[in-house]
Amino acid sequence: MDAFCSDCKRQTEVVFDHSAGDTVCSECGLVLESHSIDETSEWRTFANESGDNDPVRVGGPTNPLLADGGLTTVISKPNGTSGDFLSSSLGRWQNRGSNPDRGLIVAFKTIATMADRLGLVATIKDRANEIYKRVEDQKSSRGRNQDALLAACLYIACRQEDKPRTVKEICSVANGATKKEIGRAKEYIVKQLGLETGQSVEMGTIHAGDFMRRFCSNLGMTNQTVKAAQESVKKSEEFDIRRSPISIAAAVIYIITQLSDEKKPLRDISVATGVAEGTIRNSYKDLYPHLPKIIPAWYAKEEDLKSLQSP
Amino acid sequence: MADDQEFDGSNPVDLSEHPSGIVPTLQNIVSTVNLDCKLDLKAIALQARNAEYNPKRFAAVVMRIREPKTTALIFASGRMVCTGAKSEEGSKMAARKYARIVQKLGFPAKFKDFKIQNIVGSVDVKFPIKLEGLAMCHRDFSSYEPEMFPGLIYRMKVPKIVLLIFVSGKIVITGAKVMSHFLFRVVSRVVPRKTSCAVLGFAKLAENLVLC
Repeated sequence: MDAFCSDCKRQTEVVFDHSAGDTVCSECGLVLESHSIDETSEWRTFANESGDNDPVRVGGPTNPLLADGGLTTVISKPNGTSGDFLSSSLGRWQNRGSNPDRGLIVAFKTIATMADRLGLVATIKDRANEIYKRVEDQKSSRGRNQDALLAACLYIACRQEDKPRTVKEICSVANGATKKEIGRAKEYIVKQLGLETGQSVEMGTIHAGDFMRRFCSNLGMTNQTVKAAQESVKKSEEFDIRRSPISIAAAVIYIITQLSDEKKPLRDISVATGVAEGTIRNSYKDLYPHLPKIIPAWYAKEEDLKSLQSP
Repeated sequence: MADDQEFDGSNPVDLSEHPSGIVPTLQNIVSTVNLDCKLDLKAIALQARNAEYNPKRFAAVVMRIREPKTTALIFASGRMVCTGAKSEEGSKMAARKYARIVQKLGFPAKFKDFKIQNIVGSVDVKFPIKLEGLAMCHRDFSSYEPEMFPGLIYRMKVPKIVLLIFVSGKIVITGAKVMSHFLFRVVSRVVPRKTSCAVLGFAKLAENLVLC
């Protein structure tokens, strides 16, 4: 390694002495830098010694949303017995100390639980956390129903990632929040976010096609039927069918499965989509006149369509 | 669209005022007036004929008259809310009638600060509307959640009015405080834009969806 030596006044070859931590000029022997800090790891860890005791890393991943990045120091209880009076009360005092993020941490945990129940990826979860933090920064959300607020954050996060979840699905994992409350909380959040940053809330309208994959896989349909269902739903958007997209999706699934070999009963479809059986029947009635144009030709021919019961 | 469409069989539509030829029908007018004297609600409820008063449920007397068919909430402070009229003159007349009733019951009622607070109207544009296209075109003003409500909620900033727009082409207009011009221009402002970007189905206008 070469560096500039101040005595020799030129570039000379420099030796780094690891044991003393000195950088020494090899020509005149001048110590250029001493007490260099060794930044390699202090101990070796072996692969099979994993577990809670990995000494290389301390604490969890930093969370930029929390006030101090999630760095905390906790006084833990001593091993064995509860120890003497001093240490246990220390633990109590430590927890009572002002933790500005406590509400946030609890909220993030709730969002994480809900996201796990729905099987959502970490991006959606993080986005929901971010939305919640942005809303919380404006203190006006204190008195609101927290469950509905968190559920609405998750709902908006799913929508923004183009993987929308129906409000009924969010309802099923949110404890205690009704569809109406979540809807209202969602409007509130959209308004708050719109106030904070001028009109940046980008949320497209939902389409039946967004839910097809999920509903079909919940029902265990074959790839053929799934493809047919997706095509049908795309075609159906051109027609004037005045139904909620979820109901249309459910009705299309019903029709496609009736045309296939594995007919799913109305009840299964109702459970998988969250649409009431009566609604599926009514949507079927609305779709019936357009069926020849909606169902792809490679999947079912005219006669098969005629075999479908007329509503 | 028939531009010189007759409106309810009465005078033909004045196209200078309603350029789109569409006139909303008023459904409800809400107005408030200050009778400017403290009232004894119990006495009013006992003496007046069509009055109901349930202090545990609501702190006002609910009075109804047949002509014009309206309902009034009369508060102990002397303020009154009159709802249900189908025109502003009707609302004012009804409010005067209520004030007269209160006067006849022995209170020195006056008619101060009559103000129309809300006008609700409905309109049919007679063609189906692609709500999603509208929501995309007017993203900043529209809120369309098919799961929550089948209609699109359009919050117009100037004038500050909310329109509920449905796929069938029927529109509900609410939040207007001032009559006439606002109401009709509101519709004609939204409708031509919607005509170009919203007509469903087989018409070539469907392509214009992209242009707006």
